[in-house]
Amino acid sequence: MRWAVLVALTLLIALCAMPEQKQVAEQKRDKVVIGVLAPMSLPEGTAQEKAVKLAVEEINAKGGILGYKVEVVVGDDKLDPSVGVAEFKRLATLQKADVIIGGFSSGVMLATMEAMAETKTLFLADASSPSHSAKVAENYEKYKYWFRIAQNNATTFAFDIADMIKMLRNNGYEVKKIYVIRDEHIWAEDVMKTLRPLLLDLGVEIIKDVQVPRNYAEYESLILEAEKLNAHLIVPILALTGTGDVLVKQWASLRPKILLAGHDLAAIDHGFFNKTNGAANYVIFLADGGALVTAPITELCKEFVEKYKAKYGHYPEAHQAYGAYDAVYIYKRVVEEASKNGEKDPFNAETLVKYLERFNESNPIILTRPIAFTPNHDLVWSDKTIRNWISQWQDGKQVILYPEHVANGKLKLPPWMS
Amino acid sequence: MIELLEIFVFGTAMGGIFALLASGFSLIFGVSRILNFAHGVCFSISAYLVIYFIKEFSVDIFSASILGIFFAVLVGFFVYALTKYIRHNVVMVIIVTLAFALLVEQFLLLSFGNRGLTMPPFVEGIQVIYENLRIAKVRLLAIAIAIATLLALEFFISRTIIGKRINAVSQDIEAAKLLGINVEKVLIATFLISSALAGIAGILYAQIFNIYPAMILRVLIYAFAVVILGGLGSFRGSVVASFIIGYIFVATMKTLGAQWSEFVMLITIVAILAVRPTGLFGVKE
Repeated sequence: MRWAVLVALTLLIALCAMPEQKQVAEQKRDKVVIGVLAPMSLPEGTAQEKAVKLAVEEINAKGGILGYKVEVVVGDDKLDPSVGVAEFKRLATLQKADVIIGGFSSGVMLATMEAMAETKTLFLADASSPSHSAKVAENYEKYKYWFRIAQNNATTFAFDIADMIKMLRNNGYEVKKIYVIRDEHIWAEDVMKTLRPLLLDLGVEIIKDVQVPRNYAEYESLILEAEKLNAHLIVPILALTGTGDVLVKQWASLRPKILLAGHDLAAIDHGFFNKTNGAANYVIFLADGGALVTAPITELCKEFVEKYKAKYGHYPEAHQAYGAYDAVYIYKRVVEEASKNGEKDPFNAETLVKYLERFNESNPIILTRPIAFTPNHDLVWSDKTIRNWISQWQDGKQVILYPEHVANGKLKLPPWMS
Repeated sequence: MIELLEIFVFGTAMGGIFALLASGFSLIFGVSRILNFAHGVCFSISAYLVIYFIKEFSVDIFSASILGIFFAVLVGFFVYALTKYIRHNVVMVIIVTLAFALLVEQFLLLSFGNRGLTMPPFVEGIQVIYENLRIAKVRLLAIAIAIATLLALEFFISRTIIGKRINAVSQDIEAAKLLGINVEKVLIATFLISSALAGIAGILYAQIFNIYPAMILRVLIYAFAVVILGGLGSFRGSVVASFIIGYIFVATMKTLGAQWSEFVMLITIVAILAVRPTGLFGVKE
């Protein structure tokens, strides 16, 4: 018996010590599989699924990718890291997804990146924490399959908020004191770390920095406090709280002589104006992801929003739709380029990483937005690529105020402030 | 001065809504000894249906609210029927009502998504209370509706025949039976009234704040906290405790920050229970 155990143990150790080999032999391909993994009970998830399906429908109508029909498989991470990991593995192994598109929560993304590294699957992702690209920087070989495609790294919100303050000052609205209301979450902390020195340079004081938990909805007392502390600006940095609409409604109802301007994720959605019964009017927000329904910046973006409406009966319910749509087309493009260059397996993730990296600041790919990657696979933040356009709700329309080369409107102050 | 007034006004609105929710929970426990974990379903379902009727059928807010409360009452009756034959088994009741609550939560999640929804208020605009202290009119209306409903409930329980029977059954179910009171009818009435109260609370809450699927269990924590603090089964205790919790909630948010409000609320309850284990108005059984 002892001998048997010893032999089994030796075999086990020998197996573990064997060099890593490709576990699955290259099989004959008959289709291309694209996985979508996102929280499907949220608009940020459904928008990604719908956008991917729309792109795939278009591609299949034109003969697929390299002649292969494209199939979509869907997973729901339920905003839970363990579910996200299990679903990623299911899509990558059982469903044999060639590429996975999706994500939303930064915490879930950190966990699913491990499943990505384990399965060596290309991951064209949403979520905004800088810790994701930091992983690529720390261990490139392990995490190189990850590319952020939907939006900029969260620290860029700080640059946009600083530019927002400059833009307001240039329009004659003085900003010296701000009242911050933000998610009690790591991503908002990252924004604040970058924002604080920028505000110091601008001579702006943070008179209060309030962290609010998920589903927090009692904003009236905060607005009254901001007023009492003579704040010039209430700056929301809200995404996961999920109550940006409540803040806007209470702000419009109380009518303080303070502008509401910052990063309220909910305000980007095209349905936000109706959802708040028009209370969103005059709210200034960052168009995270660099695209808006009423201010598309590329021809493809203009076509995409209309096609989306024609297919689903409404415009994209979340900005992640642009990233997901672009992800399918960028994947098609790199596979075709790899094939054209005579790569042995143009669908191989290792190979495709090199082709994706070619889209850098000097060589962006123009899809619904101009996309370029940094060396750590973040999106390049610049006026010429993707940045979070400083925008405002004006009479039911989203208008870009800054930067000027894409602006399609001028700042308007609420009537109770003029 | 203005801070205290603000805490008083905001806390009263919050406490009033808690009181509507918790008094029903307490009534059901008082009469049937049932810990109804599905009480939050009535709270949420009424608000969701109001939003649904307005959005899908363009029903006005008042008619939609009446429909919402009606459906909350239907849910209450369903929970009564669900627990009728397992009432003697406390653990089974908890499991069944909790399972039902989780089922409805999943249904709402699939139907409406995880993002919070708001509804148009009964009244628009703001009211200046004092100097620069303003409050949305809908919040003042919520205070008025909550207090009026609670007074009507107090009148109903103490002055009407059904109310007196509810009181009698909650004091001693066996004695009530001996007196010829139809206990089942009393139980049905209690479930229907409690569900309507929760339905009203849900609508008022969603008018000021928002509603989301997880609210079904979240409000249960508030209801529990209030009922334990007030004394299990004590209607008046629940009402008083609701306002105490409301003031603690708002005062903590104003002074320490929102992330501390639930923590401080629960610590206070533990502290009070350490001194008075039966709660503020509870009696030893």
